[in-house]
Amino acid sequence: MNALGVVIAVVSVAFVAAAGVYVTAWIDLVLARAVAGLEVRPLDALIAPLRWAAATALKARTTTERPDAEAWALAPALLAALAAVGLAAVPLAPGLLAADVANGIVLFGAAMALVVVAVFLQGWSPNSPLPMIGGYRFIAQGLSYEIPLAVVLIAAALPARSLAIAPIVTSQEHLWNVVRQPLGLPLYLMAGLGLAFWGPLALPEGQDLAGGSSLETSGASLLLWRAAQLLVLVAVAAMGTAVFLGGWLGPLLPGAAWMILKTLFLLIPLIATRHFVARVPTERYVVVSWAILIPLSLLDVFAAGIQALMAAR
Amino acid sequence: MGLKTAFARLAAGAPARCFAIVGAGADEIAPWLRLDPELAIVDSPRAADVLLVLGRFNEDTLHAAAAVHDLVPPPRGVVSWSPGHEAARGLPFTDAVALSDPSEIGSAAVRLRDELLSGRRASSPDILPDVDPAPWRGVGPFGQGGAGMTGGVPYGRPLAGRANDRDGLKLDQILVRVGPFLPPFPPGLMLDVKIQGDVIQEVSMPAAALDDGSSVADEHHSSEAPGSTEAMTRFAAVQHDPFIAALMRPVPVADLELARARHHLAWLAEALRVSGLEAYGRRVLKLARTVRPEAAEPVDDLSRWLRRNLSLRWGTSGVGVVSASQAAALPGGPVARAAGDGRDVRSLDPAYQRLGFMPVVLEVGDALARWRLRVAEAQQALTLAKRSNGSVTTPSGLVEGLRGPMGARVSASTALVTMLPELLVGMEWGDAVTAVVSLDIDMAEAAVLHDVAAEGRAS
Amino acid sequence: MILNVTFWAFSALAVFSGWRVFRADSMVRAAYWLLVSFAAVGVILVLLKAEFLGLILILMMGGEMTIMAVFMVAFMMNPAGLNPMTMVHRNSVAIVAGVVSFLAIAALGVFARFPVARAPVGIDPTRRLGVELLGDSMLVFQTAGVTLLAAMIAAVAISSARGRFGAGDEGSVEPDQLVPDTGAAPERVAGMQPGGPDGPRDPSPMAAGGHT
Repeated sequence: MNALGVVIAVVSVAFVAAAGVYVTAWIDLVLARAVAGLEVRPLDALIAPLRWAAATALKARTTTERPDAEAWALAPALLAALAAVGLAAVPLAPGLLAADVANGIVLFGAAMALVVVAVFLQGWSPNSPLPMIGGYRFIAQGLSYEIPLAVVLIAAALPARSLAIAPIVTSQEHLWNVVRQPLGLPLYLMAGLGLAFWGPLALPEGQDLAGGSSLETSGASLLLWRAAQLLVLVAVAAMGTAVFLGGWLGPLLPGAAWMILKTLFLLIPLIATRHFVARVPTERYVVVSWAILIPLSLLDVFAAGIQALMAAR
Repeated sequence: MGLKTAFARLAAGAPARCFAIVGAGADEIAPWLRLDPELAIVDSPRAADVLLVLGRFNEDTLHAAAAVHDLVPPPRGVVSWSPGHEAARGLPFTDAVALSDPSEIGSAAVRLRDELLSGRRASSPDILPDVDPAPWRGVGPFGQGGAGMTGGVPYGRPLAGRANDRDGLKLDQILVRVGPFLPPFPPGLMLDVKIQGDVIQEVSMPAAALDDGSSVADEHHSSEAPGSTEAMTRFAAVQHDPFIAALMRPVPVADLELARARHHLAWLAEALRVSGLEAYGRRVLKLARTVRPEAAEPVDDLSRWLRRNLSLRWGTSGVGVVSASQAAALPGGPVARAAGDGRDVRSLDPAYQRLGFMPVVLEVGDALARWRLRVAEAQQALTLAKRSNGSVTTPSGLVEGLRGPMGARVSASTALVTMLPELLVGMEWGDAVTAVVSLDIDMAEAAVLHDVAAEGRAS
Repeated sequence: MILNVTFWAFSALAVFSGWRVFRADSMVRAAYWLLVSFAAVGVILVLLKAEFLGLILILMMGGEMTIMAVFMVAFMMNPAGLNPMTMVHRNSVAIVAGVVSFLAIAALGVFARFPVARAPVGIDPTRRLGVELLGDSMLVFQTAGVTLLAAMIAAVAISSARGRFGAGDEGSVEPDQLVPDTGAAPERVAGMQPGGPDGPRDPSPMAAGGHT
């Protein structure tokens, strides 16, 4: 890719990131109002995330007693950077890929694996008991999310015989991966929810911890943290679209429009789980993940492998 | 127009983010704060703009309130309200907006927030001094607090100590004081919890937890027997509480049962919020406020929805099991009935007997049973209210209150608080919170009888 | 040009963060400085066109350093650097071993003959790596991998709520922790009262879930 192409790709990723975070916040608010039985007022809800952001940005960034100040300042920035890297690995349109590496799947996996570090630092640094419990919970759950994620992504890479994302998208020209690997997308979405600590898997930040890992954060740090969390959700949905729903493929509309529509199609249920599914009990979810979800993901990759072998004949 | 002014104008249209500190006497207002469209109640003082201080406080809780105030990041302000027409006694806030009418809380908070963010009003200053509890204590070759590299009390805060976990491994254990205003817990509950990881190893109650401070000024309690009607009257924050009234005179069954249904639904709203379903919790809270015996179908719908929601069942099933023997030690109430103990004062009342009242009893005794029981009792209460046709209770010195028999020697909340330590040991934090929320403890109820009983012993 | 700058920058970062591991007072910081060092090496691997190796290195080290941080915190008494401490022990032995290893690796770097041919364009490094490492035994390794995973799952299942002395949520304790019927209270762990061994102080601001 030439320099101009790289610049365009990076700018597109930044734009998609900002728009994605904003749209996610708006959808979440609209759904919350609908479920709460309040008047929805979608236009009013459009400006509400900006109001919240402005109010949060005006607050001071407080400090606690003997925090790990550098790590605490680093954590939201790290989460945002990792989410941006994850989003950069997704082709937003045919030919528009910021991180054009030969191992896009591995890049995404690495970025998501380091999310554990960011959330742990956010919980550890304030030197406060409840955020620390939140941080530890996320570590305890980390592998329960990462193993199914990695395995189903590898399964999706098998028909394309490549770890790069663009070949995976083009390999779905005749049949989307969600059809030929039905276990893949549900497992991927569950893992993605966990990595974004959203909804039923909002364990590090649950109400039982009174806000958990971001309990002591305020001001611009809190704003960046929330935005980073929403960006992780957007990156998860975008990668899911590319890998399972055929990415930019589709008739009539341009590729970018299909990407947006399909990403929204994944994003809305992800956001909605927060309002319909209660938070899972930590220990029991680990058992379910290791005893049920991981074997299912192994089944998924074996089935994909068998399909690939038969297709090769 | 500077960036700050632009942000302030933008922020001005939103509800005021408030952290609520609830003391004694604020029971009528506190559950309904979340319904106010001008307020957004947050979980952490760090996320708040305005601190709402509602009710009366004693010395320890005042100190905690001051500490919470200092946690709110500037620009911050305080809105306070206290029951009766006395000004809030002894509050340390220098420039709080003091209200006498609780319906003004929302608009006052929004106004205060706008003034603070636009700079028209100065932020409330720190109350407590920002110093370490103790100076650095240097012992050992590298300045450590303890011998070698271990432990010590740097700056007055003890480091985590080693202790065995249940497998015999020596792992770190830290002592945490869970304070009076931590959101998922009932206001006023203070626990000293030893946590290993997120598993609770030991729970104890600091003695100060149970005093609500209302004993400081009064003089005539030595003549009151614990649990007497005078004590209960003094306990009542608001004189028109139908349960207190029912101790002394006949009260329409419909009033009692409607209050019961409203309370149980408000409790359910909070329990749903703590389980992660904030939006649905708000929906239930609105239902709790507006439900009438004639229009009870939404409660039936709610009950069906709860039964179908598997995620809620997963989070509460098998959590916080109260055994049959523990239930027998309680004076009664929903917690005991959920564990198979069918005592209910209403069974002895002729008005209820005429209505064919049978107490709802479940067997398992876990948090899920308590959830289901309270919803079922709410449904039953609405049915009773509808069919009661103006019949009234017979005062007998005992009334089946919201959490157990009132007018008894030991209140249900006191018994539950006493039971907490043995219940919570060995539980994970999340499960412990679910269990405490499902017990529905009222610290004011636990306090006044403890307080009166203590005076009874002293006199 | 950009390649050279990037290489030297990340090499310097790897060395610097490696040094910081030993100068950090806090366990968590030490673990994460090590992660930074490994990540810098991972980036260098990507520069060498071994993309898969580099990214896998970063992926694995992220999880591993976090686990290391957690274990250090769980087993050592000074996790956040509240007490000044020294991270190094047996200095003289360590210095000798360090100098010897450095000389050995430096000798390797200087005197070994590295291939000067450029890698051919258009090869798939991941595929070549797989074939080189696993050869004809791919199925064996895959089976071994799944067996390892099964062993890990079994280990998790064994360390479940049912501990050695009974279920955790029923308050099981080690037998010698049980109090005999004389009613004597078990000894308190030193310093485990709120506020320190001198007894309770002012209720700490942890009351509301935070510190001043």
